[in-house]
Amino acid sequence: MSEIENKTENGSTESAGGCAAKDTEDDKGLGLGVIFFIVAFVVCFLSGTLLFPKLLYSKKEQPFNFNHALHVGETGDCETCHFLREDGSFAGIPNLETCLDCHAEDALGETEDELVFVEEYIVKGKEVPWLIYSRQPDCVFFSHAAHTKTAGMDCVTCHGPIGESTSLKPYEENRITGYSRDIWGKNIWGIKKHSWDRMKMDDCAECHKEETGHQGYCFQCHK
Amino acid sequence: MKQENNKAHKFGMVIDLDKCTGCGSCMVSCMSENNVPFKEDESNKKDSITWMRVYKLTNGKSFPDTEIVYMPRPCQHCGGKGDHGHSPCVSVCPATATDYGYDTGIVSQIYTRCFGCRYCMGACPYHARYFNWWDPKWPEGMEKYLSPDVSPRMRGVVEKCSFCYHRYQAARDTAYYEDREDIEEHEYQTACATACPAGAIVFGDLNNPEHMVHQIVKPDPHPDPYNKDVVGKSRNPKVFRLLERLGTNPKVYYLSEREWVRKAGDNYLDGEWDKIKNHHGSSSHG
Amino acid sequence: MKVDRRSFLGLGLGAAAGIAVSPVGLKLTDDSSIWSQNWPWTPVPVDGQVNYENSVCSLCPGSCGISVRKIENRPVKIEGLAGYPVNDGGACLHGIAGLQYLYDPSRVKTPLKKNGDLFEKISWDEAISLVAEKLSEIRKKGTPERLACIADKDMGSVSGLFQRLLKSFGSPNFYTMPSLESYLELTAAALHGEGLTMGFDLENADYVLSFGAGIIEGWGSPVSCFKANASRKERHAQLVQIEPRLSNTAANADQWIPIKPGTEADLALGLCAVILNNKLFDSTATADFRGGLNKFAANLQRNYSPSKTAEITGVKADVIEKLATVFAKAKMPLAVFGKGRGDGAQSLKEMAAVHTLNCLVGNINKKGGAFVQATADYLEFPDESMDDIAEKGFVKTKTGRYIHQLIEKVNESSTPVIEALLVYNANPCYSLHDSKTVKQALGKIPFVVSFSSFLDETAKQADIILPSHTFIERLEDVPTGAGLAKSVVGLAKPATRPVFDTKNPGDTVILIAKALEGSIAESFEWESYEECLESVTAGIWDSLSEEGFAVLSQGVPLNSPSVNIAYLADNPAGISFQGDFEHTLIPIDNMRLISGGTAASPFAVKTVADTVLKGRDSVVEINPQTANGLKDGGTAILTTPLGSARIKVSLNQGMMPGVIGMVQGLGHSFDNKYVSNKGINVNDLIGPVIESGSGLDAASGIRAKISKA
Repeated sequence: MSEIENKTENGSTESAGGCAAKDTEDDKGLGLGVIFFIVAFVVCFLSGTLLFPKLLYSKKEQPFNFNHALHVGETGDCETCHFLREDGSFAGIPNLETCLDCHAEDALGETEDELVFVEEYIVKGKEVPWLIYSRQPDCVFFSHAAHTKTAGMDCVTCHGPIGESTSLKPYEENRITGYSRDIWGKNIWGIKKHSWDRMKMDDCAECHKEETGHQGYCFQCHK
Repeated sequence: MKQENNKAHKFGMVIDLDKCTGCGSCMVSCMSENNVPFKEDESNKKDSITWMRVYKLTNGKSFPDTEIVYMPRPCQHCGGKGDHGHSPCVSVCPATATDYGYDTGIVSQIYTRCFGCRYCMGACPYHARYFNWWDPKWPEGMEKYLSPDVSPRMRGVVEKCSFCYHRYQAARDTAYYEDREDIEEHEYQTACATACPAGAIVFGDLNNPEHMVHQIVKPDPHPDPYNKDVVGKSRNPKVFRLLERLGTNPKVYYLSEREWVRKAGDNYLDGEWDKIKNHHGSSSHG
Repeated sequence: MKVDRRSFLGLGLGAAAGIAVSPVGLKLTDDSSIWSQNWPWTPVPVDGQVNYENSVCSLCPGSCGISVRKIENRPVKIEGLAGYPVNDGGACLHGIAGLQYLYDPSRVKTPLKKNGDLFEKISWDEAISLVAEKLSEIRKKGTPERLACIADKDMGSVSGLFQRLLKSFGSPNFYTMPSLESYLELTAAALHGEGLTMGFDLENADYVLSFGAGIIEGWGSPVSCFKANASRKERHAQLVQIEPRLSNTAANADQWIPIKPGTEADLALGLCAVILNNKLFDSTATADFRGGLNKFAANLQRNYSPSKTAEITGVKADVIEKLATVFAKAKMPLAVFGKGRGDGAQSLKEMAAVHTLNCLVGNINKKGGAFVQATADYLEFPDESMDDIAEKGFVKTKTGRYIHQLIEKVNESSTPVIEALLVYNANPCYSLHDSKTVKQALGKIPFVVSFSSFLDETAKQADIILPSHTFIERLEDVPTGAGLAKSVVGLAKPATRPVFDTKNPGDTVILIAKALEGSIAESFEWESYEECLESVTAGIWDSLSEEGFAVLSQGVPLNSPSVNIAYLADNPAGISFQGDFEHTLIPIDNMRLISGGTAASPFAVKTVADTVLKGRDSVVEINPQTANGLKDGGTAILTTPLGSARIKVSLNQGMMPGVIGMVQGLGHSFDNKYVSNKGINVNDLIGPVIESGSGLDAASGIRAKISKA
């Protein structure tokens, strides 16, 4: 105890001298400190807002391009390819077999992408390793039947107007979590303009609260 | 569209201890249904994860008057005091990793939300909760049998029986697809109930008088006049619940013709059992 | 202007504040929590379309229908098949855990050849030609009878192919492991004549007297028995269990009658004596008895009066009289034999004595009684083509009557009596008594071929392993035996493509036969086992392939077989347990373990109580009265005439004083840490004792000593 006190006393005498010497520069020091503060604040804030997302996400390309608009034009709806199975489960991204229902062995169009599809996947009998923008962690259970069939919701409400797109946007993978940027949403603040801009748990809860009066119990959406 | 929650289920189970053979089918069916891992030595039962565990009870008498009975114990899905959903585990969870589903009566456990404080394990009077002291490891290639319906757990979280909630979800999906309002009794059955070769486990909706479980249990809709915390006591004198007097209001009921078995469902002071055994729900038979 | 400490402070604070109000903190917190909830090493099972494949389980003779749940053709769960005539929906824990056998990384993944002490991988072509070459040498020497085969059973087309291979090769030496099915046939033969088998109508009997038959311990067809037992309550049927230990069956029964181990035959005869003496028998049934009923009755009168029986068995005389009376007066009484699972050591005297109770009360081929009928034969193999060597070899006498005599002969002889051995679906080095001598015998056989899917105790002794598909990958006809009242053949279908480089054993046998060329190859003209199966089951193939099963017989058989009491009238000698220690060690059948050659799955082993297996120690059950001061949970040394073992003790009031119970199915030595090197194989401590009349190993126990470690 006494040792510490001694040291403090010694220290305070020294610093008292130091302070006296600095007193004259105090104002300038403070001014510079403020400038430094502002500069650092602005730089850090901007990089946190603008640079950080660029670092956080890595861009990945899909195996080949896919024209949703074209397919919707041919089939007329989403459900032809993204259908509910007879047991009520959701088939998700169509597998090769579903594609082959129309594509048979030959290409139907003349695009380069379709050529890749035929040569790399149909001929080799390999499933296309699509990168799924809406992929959720394993602990999530989501019933498409409950939302699209019973509640009569539109695909667009959650997935956006993807059916109108003619090409696939790059898949931005979060380097930390491994999930797509579309889950958090494009806006780094997490601010959404449309219902389909984000797919976080809070977004589910928000809609549930509005529509059913209750955000739901854990097991409703978790497994 | 406003919907759901207008008709609350109360899923529960009644296990006929006179039929139970202690064969262990329910335990293995549960483990393979729910991706429960296994490790080299499982003989230390304190760290052996078995959502469904079959206990061996004995009447404590010596040879040749000894009797034994097997008692399967899943999570009891307690309704808590007064059956208001304040289950012992739910009320202590600081992470909201476990909640009470008022629409089903099922107590959830969300592994990704759990941070492993194990308060719930301390709170559970039935030892129905298990902690993952290690990351589960499957021998090379064996992870191929894992089911996508239940997410595998990781080290440091608590897990327990979910009444095979994913089977409820699957049944509801089918009902949605077929434009049905509700599911049938046979559509949602737990893995233990379907596996039991003796048919000792009956599962269904305790609120639905058409369901077998309701017909066997005949739950009393009024609180027990002697203990207001106890709700849903069985009006079948052969049926009892574990530690019923605590007011945890489990949704797992047990059935036995043998009085000593029914008495083993709770702790009694000397002579106490004889005084209270004639109240409905635990009267003397056999 | 001077840059000083404060300016840096400003810089730091500014940076911190800038970051704090930027989305970085919020986003990183969210991301890191998601990251920490989804470790890369936690498996994420792939989702997809669900479909179900119906098949039949062939892990045990129970032969239950199963439904394999698959996600995109990946089996994820096995459940009982509703509507299947044997089990109708229920399943036992071993069947449910079947996928742990399928995906087991310690399976034999390719054909193996023994090189010194180690196995090396070889190709199928190499393996088949190696086997053919070795077998040809034996034939060239003109001693084809020196090829032997041990299979689990003599039913079904795969076993049929092995028998066919031996016959066309020229060897009579086909052996099966002891099984309930073989005991049923022997008992039927002793009382009714050859070519018959038995079943028990447990679903309808209203008074079942079980002489140690573990009706809910895995006896017979387990799930079917569980169901019959569970329906007792509704049917107001009674079950009386007679055995030294409060087994699960005894605990579940309406009455448990503890009996001194090994005296079950005496009790059965004592009951017969009361029934005969008090004229409680069915006189129309006994009118047809041949073989000296009076002589039998006189014998019983002399040796098995209630008081004498009481002295032998430890069951009180008044209990014996009451039991006999209630049994004889019951509407549908049924006496059941086959201690434990019914596949261990059994005495023919005991089985015949128990079945005589059925004969006396006239319940043969009546509802709720014992069904005696011809063995169901649905297989139509064409005649073998046999050359000279085969003709001469096949008519020679078998080396031994049963497998025990074979083992004994091999061990006794200085010259090889058997030069090559094929082992299919059997693990004699584990499941026969005194496993050490069995291993020794196999060591003396110059060329052993195993068809096992796992590197089990017997496969380890082999020179070549030709690995078979597991039941989930296999096409096969699966007939039920197992004492069921009905006879059903199921069709096991591959629920998945083979996980490893294994073959259907039927195909392997056909390949070996073809490689042996000549008349043997001519006997195996099928292109594949699939083609063979379809042709030999032609009579029921439509039903098999469409329904998944064919019912060969059900309901009460029409004809009543005659009863010949001569075997028992001659008062055959029983056996006495080996050794002279004060206790008797008996094996316990526990539903959660497998007593045959296969090890229980990791899931099944996980369910085993810590009063059965603790760490690496087997736990034995003993009544505290005769525990010699041993403590519950303490370590002790168990000694029998065969050797000693370190065990743990569980004091159990459900054990008869003087009896020590040790579970069967532990002590495996596979390369699978989840199921092996746990506990002791009780067969290492019990030696065979041959019953003189029948030639069966009837050692259902052994004298033992237990002392502090």
